[in-house]
Amino acid sequence: MGGFLLRKAGAALVVVFCASVLVFVGVRALPGDPAIALSGESNDPAVIAAVRHEYGLDRPLPVQYVKWVWRALQGNLGLDNRRLPVAQTIVSRIPISLELALLSILVGMLIGIPAGVIAAVRRGKPSDHTATTFALVGLSLPHFWLGLLMIIVFAVDLHWLPSGGYVSFGAHPISNLEHMVMPAVVLGTGLSAVLMRQMRSSMLTSLGADYVRTARAKGLSEWSVVCKHALRNSLITVTTVVGLQLGALISGVVITEVIFVIPGFGHLTIDAITARDYTLIQGVVLVTATGYVVVNLLVDVVYSFLNPRIRVSGGAA
Amino acid sequence: MSYVDVAPALTPRARRRRILRRRFLRRPLAVVGLVVALAFVLGAILAPVIAPYSASATDFNSVLGHPSGKHLLGTDELGRDVLSRIIWGSRASIEAGVLSVLLAMVVAVPIGLAAGYFRGWVDTVIARLTDVLLAFPFLILAVGLAAILGPSLSNATLALGIGAVPALIRIARGEALALREEDYVRAAVANGAGEFRIIARHVLPNMLSTLIVQGTVLIPTAIIGEAVLSYLGLGVQPPTPSWGVMLSDAQSYLTQAPMLAVYPGLAIFICSLSFNLLGDGLRDILDPRTTR
Amino acid sequence: MTGSLRRRGTLLVLALAALGALAVAAVAAARTTAPAAAQVRNGGTLTIGLSEEPDALDPTLARTFVGRMVFMAMCEKLYDLDSHLNIVPQLAASMPTVSKDKLTYTIKLRKGIKFNDGTPFNAAAVKTSLDRDLTLTGSVRASEISPVKSVTAQGSSTVVLHLSTPYSPLVSQLADRAGMVMSPKALAAEGTNFAQHPVCVGPFMFKDRVAGDHITLVKSPYYYAKNKVHLASIVYKIMTDPSARTQALRAGDIQVEDRIQSSDVPTLQKDKNVHVIKAVTIGYQGLTLNIGNKNGVLKGYSNVGTPIAKSRDVRAAFELALDRSTINKVVFGGLEQPGCFPIAPSSSWYAATTKGLPCNLHANVAQAKKLIQQSGIPTPITVHLLLGGTDPVNARLGQVIQAMEKPIGINVSIEATDFTTSLDRGTSGDFDTYAVGWSGRVDPDGNIYSFVASKGTLNYSGYSNPRLDYILNGARKSLTTKSRDTLYHAALQVINADKPLIYLYYPVDYFGVSKNVTGVQVYGDGLIRAQFAAFTK
Repeated sequence: MGGFLLRKAGAALVVVFCASVLVFVGVRALPGDPAIALSGESNDPAVIAAVRHEYGLDRPLPVQYVKWVWRALQGNLGLDNRRLPVAQTIVSRIPISLELALLSILVGMLIGIPAGVIAAVRRGKPSDHTATTFALVGLSLPHFWLGLLMIIVFAVDLHWLPSGGYVSFGAHPISNLEHMVMPAVVLGTGLSAVLMRQMRSSMLTSLGADYVRTARAKGLSEWSVVCKHALRNSLITVTTVVGLQLGALISGVVITEVIFVIPGFGHLTIDAITARDYTLIQGVVLVTATGYVVVNLLVDVVYSFLNPRIRVSGGAA
Repeated sequence: MSYVDVAPALTPRARRRRILRRRFLRRPLAVVGLVVALAFVLGAILAPVIAPYSASATDFNSVLGHPSGKHLLGTDELGRDVLSRIIWGSRASIEAGVLSVLLAMVVAVPIGLAAGYFRGWVDTVIARLTDVLLAFPFLILAVGLAAILGPSLSNATLALGIGAVPALIRIARGEALALREEDYVRAAVANGAGEFRIIARHVLPNMLSTLIVQGTVLIPTAIIGEAVLSYLGLGVQPPTPSWGVMLSDAQSYLTQAPMLAVYPGLAIFICSLSFNLLGDGLRDILDPRTTR
Repeated sequence: MTGSLRRRGTLLVLALAALGALAVAAVAAARTTAPAAAQVRNGGTLTIGLSEEPDALDPTLARTFVGRMVFMAMCEKLYDLDSHLNIVPQLAASMPTVSKDKLTYTIKLRKGIKFNDGTPFNAAAVKTSLDRDLTLTGSVRASEISPVKSVTAQGSSTVVLHLSTPYSPLVSQLADRAGMVMSPKALAAEGTNFAQHPVCVGPFMFKDRVAGDHITLVKSPYYYAKNKVHLASIVYKIMTDPSARTQALRAGDIQVEDRIQSSDVPTLQKDKNVHVIKAVTIGYQGLTLNIGNKNGVLKGYSNVGTPIAKSRDVRAAFELALDRSTINKVVFGGLEQPGCFPIAPSSSWYAATTKGLPCNLHANVAQAKKLIQQSGIPTPITVHLLLGGTDPVNARLGQVIQAMEKPIGINVSIEATDFTTSLDRGTSGDFDTYAVGWSGRVDPDGNIYSFVASKGTLNYSGYSNPRLDYILNGARKSLTTKSRDTLYHAALQVINADKPLIYLYYPVDYFGVSKNVTGVQVYGDGLIRAQFAAFTK
């Protein structure tokens, strides 16, 4: 168990390192002179030169990279175009995106898990087909269209919910949830489709297993059999899906935050790229990649706890 | 066709195709998907013929107009015909959607195949590189690439294609890994057949069904990806229409003309749904568990 | 067996649906009964929703427009503007006395004033600030007051500025960040990190800042006119999304909204609880035409050879094809103010300098076509338009311009990039036409010199006209309003004839204020003045 974890962690570290190089090089490939971007409205050549020196942009690339990594390891991701600490900005935005992601997973589970169970139990029947089709619809529905539609109906027409923005939970818990309802539903719908399908297939597999037939033969009610398996499978399902769909979830968070104008980490990513804020882009993408790798690692660990067979074979191909 | 060919002969293959076709036609949803997807592709190609107006014909005296005889879906904020822009906009989506997937396949399949078939250090290197690229979510990668390359439809297509490559490499690799253990492949190797011949005759054709399904299912992701990039201003440039651009333009007019946001999104939805239905149908009929 | 399951399954779905409906209903109900956040007590905290994040709160290094709004409440200057944009003394006691050779400015300072850390405000402090502005590496103010050679403190309340060349815009610069005086004690303690704990003279003092979220100022016990200050504190909340800002104003989470987006203006104007302030700013937005910028700004200008650059007639035709009024209506919802000059109507200089000069608010397509023919350049003529943003408004502007130029045989090809890249390209001359503007300065020199003088640092157009240089330099050196009026009038005539820039409109900024707040003002400089505001209830 320890060896498996160590190997996985080591691989993750290598990936993060390579990702950091990729980010660094990629950002430098962006067109435009970062010093000009950092100088704002001032066009004074002396100011630009001073800025270039201050940010170390006149040093050779490998030196800049090492400096950046060294500082990053200490938690210093530099200053952005507005001379504000990147690390601080990122740290303040992550909880917001986290809240959105968690609420979306919750919504996805509330819809997807029961739907998957029902579809598995009623396999082949009309309700199975309906559920499967709904899942397909959910997968094909573009997030941002669903978001705009919900804004039109619930914000513009009915005035029930705000059309966008964010209020922190600490300040106004109810208002916070009001602002999160539509985004979470939008994101959760896509997730629920995948969860439903996965749940359905895993339920079908386990419901067909021998020991289930044995349990049925023993006279346990159908319902309790289903429930027991549903509970057990749902944990694995959610973990698997979250692991597989992590990329899609992050992308979804990004686009949802843009539509509903939520000042989260995803919106920060887009703003940074749009504003060509090089230091900020570097920091944001590095954190994204690291987070992605870490979560994947966690998913692998949880999964290996739930499914010991994986551990022994050293990981799926 | 040497004396030692152990691969399945042609006749069973033709028989298989007939089985598949019949199975496909028995699935109404898949057929619907095929028909609608084809309709979109044809619509994109025939846009100059079927669109009532050009995509950039402005009319500043009739902005945000309601549907009328002259404009079946109304006019947008610059007085352009919405229906025409939806039709012309399908070009961007289909082009980006289909081309990016083709591009990704052309790049990813050989790489993944090589990794899975030859194994060894080639496999290790490719697998690690793929892992690194997969550490960046598809959209972030596409957005970053589009930002580097500059906003344009071709760059967006390129970015989407590159973004899809890592995942496809993984799939191709997995397929090659599995196929390499198949009996007929081992037999061919034992009989001394050249590697290239083995790959061309035995491995690649048998990966085809999985690849076709994966490709078809990837198209909606690419279509939505193009819409997202255009929505963010990183895709097509004005005045070229794109469903994503139409959505972002419509967002400023949600109170005055909400339908402007409905139509393009509906187009994206139906288009991607049709490809999803098609892909699902293909997956069902090509499922190895039922035809092998 | 399956029957009971089916019933159970249906029950489950129904239960979930009911829960879902209840949840939505609960949220909707809670919304109507949720208490509004507006304060009702005297004193109180005024929350202002800013449209962007200010950069460092260091007057020497600050570059952002919104930063000036925060400074407005916590960092007074030697001079300020009144509601008609005339320069009036603030920390200075009176307007400066200028020597006959126009090279020495003597400024008398107010007495008995303290910085917000209790230390005394005096001539030595002013000298320290000005020296810092002139000499600190990376100072953004240096170029703004570059003619100042040295600063001397005479006694404790007189400061003398020695100039190397006459420079009439100097006092207007002292009415901006260059005139802000920082506490020497704080400067000595913080050095280049002054922005972490800025201390100036002001009705409010800096309390804290959370990057990306807010800046808090509290009432200063040291301010010389404490009795005019009613609020206990001001919080500048960063709300970059315009829709969220408007919502926050309507919900009472903020009491002042910075720059309402055009689509929200009509709604807020109808809202009984909100008062909308309309401020026609002193800036402009227009098109910069690349005439001579081949290698970059200040790197030697020579005609770039495009039809736009070669032919004055093509430039004039380009302008005549544009209908400023329709652009305003279709692109900006009628909310901006169309115009043709670099000096805005809200400026006190407008009337005299624009007298008798033509301004076409409507297109003249026939005349434009004639000019194209006259130019001898064959149509279709391709012109590239660089837009400094990929947002919908920029996209609309580009497409409208494209549609308007088509009938006269000009094919406009749109290139949209982000703002900073566009600035880069403008500087290096990598464009044909560039849609860009300027936030505006009180002194007419500030809206003209940098852009069309041969030595101008923002001369993207690469326009070099010795006659115009002579006029503009003369205007800098002359100190009387009358002579400057004449000179700038001549300058505008030259610009109008050669058209290195086509001015399209003056940005109008809209601000929202809750009805229970009084005393918030916005002058033509576009800055929110809330330091003497108060809650009415």
